Amino acid sequence: MPKGTAKTIVLYVALAAAAVVVLFPFFWMLVTAFKQPGHEFDPQIFPKNPTLDNFRRVFAEFGFLRYFANSVIVAVTAGVFATLFATLAAYAFSFKNFIMKDKLFAVLIASMMVPGLMYVVPQFAIVKKLGWMNTYRAMIVPHLANVFGLFLLKQYMETIPRSLVDAARIDGANDLAIYRRVVVPLSLPVIATLFLLTFQFHWSNFLWQLIVTNRESLYTVPVGLAMFKQAHEELYTLKMAASAVSLVPIAIIFIFAQRYFIEGMTQGAIKE
Amino acid sequence: MKRLVLVIVALTVGLAGCGGQKTKQGITLTIWETYNTEERAIFLPLVQQFEQANPGIKLEPVSIPFDGLEPKILTSLATGTAPDIARVDVGFLPKVAIRGALAPLDSYGIGTVTGQLRPVALASCVVGGKTYGLPDQVNGLCLFYNREMFTRAGLDPTKPPETWQAFVEYARKLTDKQTGTFGFGMRNSLWWSLPFIYSFGGDILDANGKCALAGEQAVAGFQFKVDLYAKYGVEGGAWRAGGIRDDLGFQSRKYAMVFNGPWAVKGLQDAGIDFGVALIPSGPAGHATNVGGNDLVVFATSKHPAEAAKFLMFMVSTDVQAKWANSLGQIPVNVAADPLVDQTKHPYLKVFMEQMKYAKPRAQTGSYPDIENAVNPEMQAALDSKKSVEEAMESAAKLVDGILAEEADLKASLK
Repeated sequence: MPKGTAKTIVLYVALAAAAVVVLFPFFWMLVTAFKQPGHEFDPQIFPKNPTLDNFRRVFAEFGFLRYFANSVIVAVTAGVFATLFATLAAYAFSFKNFIMKDKLFAVLIASMMVPGLMYVVPQFAIVKKLGWMNTYRAMIVPHLANVFGLFLLKQYMETIPRSLVDAARIDGANDLAIYRRVVVPLSLPVIATLFLLTFQFHWSNFLWQLIVTNRESLYTVPVGLAMFKQAHEELYTLKMAASAVSLVPIAIIFIFAQRYFIEGMTQGAIKE
Repeated sequence: MKRLVLVIVALTVGLAGCGGQKTKQGITLTIWETYNTEERAIFLPLVQQFEQANPGIKLEPVSIPFDGLEPKILTSLATGTAPDIARVDVGFLPKVAIRGALAPLDSYGIGTVTGQLRPVALASCVVGGKTYGLPDQVNGLCLFYNREMFTRAGLDPTKPPETWQAFVEYARKLTDKQTGTFGFGMRNSLWWSLPFIYSFGGDILDANGKCALAGEQAVAGFQFKVDLYAKYGVEGGAWRAGGIRDDLGFQSRKYAMVFNGPWAVKGLQDAGIDFGVALIPSGPAGHATNVGGNDLVVFATSKHPAEAAKFLMFMVSTDVQAKWANSLGQIPVNVAADPLVDQTKHPYLKVFMEQMKYAKPRAQTGSYPDIENAVNPEMQAALDSKKSVEEAMESAAKLVDGILAEEADLKASLK
C-alpha cells in the first residue's frame, strides 16, 4: 500500500476520534433532551421511554418563546449595528487621516487589555443613570462599540489596494460611495465573520443580561437556561431540551455565513 | 447612502426616545425571589392574598436564577438599584448585613412573630444582635436510607442506625464491592461535613470567634468521616471528581445511605425508591445536624421598610407556613404550624422537624463561602490521604483565621 494512503488513514482515524470527543457533549445533550426527568444519568445513553414532554414544558411552562424572541432581537440588532459601526470606523482609520489618529487607535486597542468584567459595574451605573434599566436599549447599546471588530476590519481593509480606491475617487466617488461600492463588497468575508462573532457573543451573554433586566419578560435565553438550576436540584432534561433548541438559530447563521466565507474565498484574492 | 445614514439616525433616536416609567398608585414593593417552580406556584397566590388584605401595597415579584442572585444583588447594591425585598441564602445574609446593605427589622414590630419562629431558623437572620430578616425556608441534613437494600442485607428496615458505631456496622453489611454497592455515599464540602463535626462536639468557630476546626472534637469528627472511606471502606467515593454523587447514587441504588434534605423527597418518591428518613446517627456529643435555607431580607435602600416588614411577617405567619408545609413538604419556620402539618401526606416531615431540634446554627460570619473555599481543598487532601486529618485541619484553621481577620478589618473600616 502506498505510503501516502497509510498516512491518510491514520489522519482520518485521529480526526474521527477528535470529532467524536468534541461532538459527544452535543450528542449527550440531544439524547438527554428526550429522557424522562430523573433518568438523566442512567448508564444507558439512549432513553428507555423517549418523550417530547421536555420540549413542550420548556415552551408551555417556562415561557421560552419569550426568551428566544428577546435573544433574537438583542443578538440580531447588536450584530447588525456593531458590525456597521465597526466597518464605518475601520474605513475612517484605514483610509482617512485625522488628528491624533494613531494615538486614538492605540488607546482603543489598550482598552481591550482590560478584562471585560471590570467594565460591568461602571457600565451598569451609566445605564441606570440614563434610566435605561429594563429596556432593550440597555441590553443592546453598551456593547455596540466593538474594538475587536474595528481592529479586525481595519487590518483587512488595509490589504485593499489603494489603487482601487484612487480609481474610484477619480471617477468622482465621495467617501460614502467608496465605502459602499468598493470597500464593503471587498470586505464581505470579514464582515460576515464579525457579524457571526458579535451575534454569538450577544446570544450567549449571561451576566450583562442578568443584571440589566429585572423583568422576566425581558430575559434572554442564557438567563432563562439558568432558571433550570434551582436551589437543590437541576432540571437537566428541561435544560438540555432548551439548550438544544437554542442552538438552532446559531447553527442556521453559521451555515449561512459559511457559504459566504467560501464564496468570498473562491472569488479569488483582490487582484491588482 | 444619505438615506441609510438618516435611517440609522432615526432608529437610534427612536430607540432612545421610546420608553419611560409609568407612575404607580400606592406603594410598590419589588421582590427578587429564587423559588423553584413548585414553590413559585404556592408563592404567587400568597402574593395576591397579601395584596388583597393590604390595599395600597402592590407587590412585584421577579424570578431570578438561583445562581445569578448574588452577583445581581452585589451589582445592584453598587449602583443603588437594589429591590425592596429579596430571598437570599442563609449563608449570604451575613455578608450583606455586615456591609450595612440590609435594614434591621427590630423596630417594625417583628417581635409579635419572632417568638414563634424555630430558633435555629431565626438565628440565621441575626447578625450582631440585630435581626436583618425573617426566615423563609429552613432545612438541615437527615439520614436517608434505602429500606429495600436494608432488607436484602438482612437488616431491619424499621430500625435505622442510631449511633455512629451502629452506622458503621450497618454500612459494612450493606457494602458489596462485587456489585459496586456501598453502605454510604457522601459529599465533601464543609456544610456537608458539619453533621460529623457537630456530633463529635466540634464547631467552625469557638466562643471567641476563632476557628475551632483544628480543635480535638472537630478533628475527631472529621477523622471519623475520613475513616468511613479510607479505613472501613464503606463509602463509595461519591465525593471524588468523577465519582457518582451521593443523591444520584442513592437514586440509582448504588448507595444504601446518604445525607439529604426535605427537597429530595419528591424526586425519590417519583423515582420509586423505597426509602426511610431518620435522624443522623449520634456521636459522642449526641445528635446534631447543620442548617441551611433561605431568609427574606429588606434592603436598607428600600423606601418602604415598614410595609416590607409587614410582608415578611405575613410570610412567616402560622397559616402561610402551614399551607407552605402541606403543599411542599418543607419544614415550617413557625413552630405554631407544626401541629397543622398533614402527617399522612408528608410522612417524613415529622423526622425532619425532629432533626431540626438538634440543628446547630452556623456562625454568622459574612465570609462563609470564602471559608468553604479555603477548607474544602484541605478536607479533600485528607480524604485522598495526601495529608493527615490533623495537618489538613491545622492549615484549614490558619486560612480561616486569616479570612476572619480580614472580615474584622472590614467591619472596623465600615464603622
